[in-house]
Amino acid sequence: MAATLAMSPDAARRRKLRRQRRNAAIRHAILLAWTAVIVFPIFWMVSTSFKEAGEWVTWPPHWLPHEPTLHNYAQIFAFGPMDASLSRQATEQAFSIWKALADAALVCTMASLLALLLGTFLAYAISRFNVGGKYFRHLVLTIRMIPPIVVAIAILMYYAILIPYATSALFGVRVSLFDTYAGLILIYTATTLPFVIWMMLSFIEEVPYTLEHAARMMGAGRFTVLRRIVLPLVASGMVVTFLFVFILNWSEFLLALTLTHPEVTTLTVLLNKFQSASEGRLYGPQAAIGTVITVPVVILGILIQKHLVKGFSFGMIRK
Amino acid sequence: MVEITTRGADLVVRDTPKRGGVLPRLAAWLAQERVFRLIPFILVEGMFILVIFIPFLLTVYISLLRWRANRPFETASFTGLDNYYSVIGNDQFWLAVGRSFYFGGVAVALELLIGFVLAMLVSQTTRFKRLYTTVFLVPMMIVPVVVGYNFSMIYVDSGPLNQLLAPLFSLFGMDPRVRWLSHPVAAQWGIILADVWQWTSLTFLIFLSGFSALPPQLVNAARVMGASPWQIFWRVQFPLLKPAIVIAVVIRSMEALKLFDPVVLLTFGGPGTSTQTVAYFLWEQVWVFNKFSFGAAASILLLLIFGVLIYAGIYLLVRQRAIVEGRGA
Repeated sequence: MAATLAMSPDAARRRKLRRQRRNAAIRHAILLAWTAVIVFPIFWMVSTSFKEAGEWVTWPPHWLPHEPTLHNYAQIFAFGPMDASLSRQATEQAFSIWKALADAALVCTMASLLALLLGTFLAYAISRFNVGGKYFRHLVLTIRMIPPIVVAIAILMYYAILIPYATSALFGVRVSLFDTYAGLILIYTATTLPFVIWMMLSFIEEVPYTLEHAARMMGAGRFTVLRRIVLPLVASGMVVTFLFVFILNWSEFLLALTLTHPEVTTLTVLLNKFQSASEGRLYGPQAAIGTVITVPVVILGILIQKHLVKGFSFGMIRK
Repeated sequence: MVEITTRGADLVVRDTPKRGGVLPRLAAWLAQERVFRLIPFILVEGMFILVIFIPFLLTVYISLLRWRANRPFETASFTGLDNYYSVIGNDQFWLAVGRSFYFGGVAVALELLIGFVLAMLVSQTTRFKRLYTTVFLVPMMIVPVVVGYNFSMIYVDSGPLNQLLAPLFSLFGMDPRVRWLSHPVAAQWGIILADVWQWTSLTFLIFLSGFSALPPQLVNAARVMGASPWQIFWRVQFPLLKPAIVIAVVIRSMEALKLFDPVVLLTFGGPGTSTQTVAYFLWEQVWVFNKFSFGAAASILLLLIFGVLIYAGIYLLVRQRAIVEGRGA
């Protein structure tokens, strides 16, 4: 302090400026370092997806493919039986991505829509009528916090034992939900409902109740109010919630791995299938699949970036 | 009946002729408040009972049986609490639970620290703020399985990590092609680092919104009154960020204890059992060894352990939320 006072005001200002510039430089250095950490694994995957089989694992590793190729993408996007000329393993393993892509798209879309529908109306009821009491929303949260492996064990026995027994006793037909679209959609809906309820609650609570009151006073029925006033106002929130839940379902691995085999295959299960091969691992096609899975979700995620904190923190933090 | 539309903040009301018949009368019945408020509640509750509660009861029932999935279900016999005794007496189970807590604890501590520092630095910068934010949030959106695969490529013995570390190894005259995932401790850190890479973005996001919600008047006032940057941070900013910190800790800890995807993708629980988390242990018992009753008993026990944590976590969240809302944030 004393030294600063002794200096001329001009020198003090210059010193302060220099210190600020140095601080900014350190700040940017740290931030750039973390940027490099983030980008590196993604860069490596994309780079590998363009490499020939010989370049997947070499010493020293090639940072950029020396001979860029689209073979890996051609393999995963191939229709029907593989062309033997594409790769030596191509004939051994059918790794066309189309079935998994279609399954994942179907299951994720249906489950997200169902959860959005149920969750939005429940959020409305909680917000306006306080359905289920003061702590109902926290009770809903506990369901999300149960470890998925516990859910998976319970659901496996439920789908594979209780439901077949019950249906054959009651209707004379053995119905198993194990390894079916319906079974996976049902459990995805149940596990993502808490997210939908919490996100939609924060959107619905922003809609002024007075608007609804006014409409009711003018003689509108409850359904009219819901359709004409509430839904248009929370529509953008519903889109955000849908995308968020879709990303969650798209990334889900444990339940898909444990509750389906071999009929229904989602993308995450498909990617894992190649991982278990101890030798001759198909790094290239895996990287291509990884890139194909990642790109749409990252784009969707960047679109709803502003709202991510609402979803991941259960609306605990508002932005 | 009237028809109502919104135009901006105004309401437009038009009369429409009244209709009779079954459907409108059903709609009228449904629109009564006592019915209307309960429709979504009953649907969702019914779903939870059907998909969560009944399977849970079934799990309790099966945990009391002696049964393996490779035999028909009819041959199962009632054994009381035997399965629970064998789970409690199983060292591998407790080691796996301990490992889950160890991985979760280390990973969450690192995530909180890095996320906090990054959020603080980003909130101080003026240039490229949006760019940094966008890049730092990307890992959170990437499918965890893909993250596991990416790291398995990076850790591979002739992979880029060893190439970057090669100068360091040559200093000691070692072969740089280390098989990281074949060494118990290195494999554990490999999994922890993959988790930190992905989920630091979430703590960063929570802290960043905490920082941007800080009222700048308080910081300015403290500065005018002659507080040092250190004092401003510890006495003004840090206390105000407490709710965000609690929320980040609770949410990340709950998720970190469920660690499963990177274990499958990177190590399959190995080498030995050094990276078996509790989720992986149970998966192996049920899906590989077909020990259904054992798995059921273990999952009930796990649920009891988690129940305490879930209760504590939700209690903390409710309290912090009350604080956040009381502040009018």
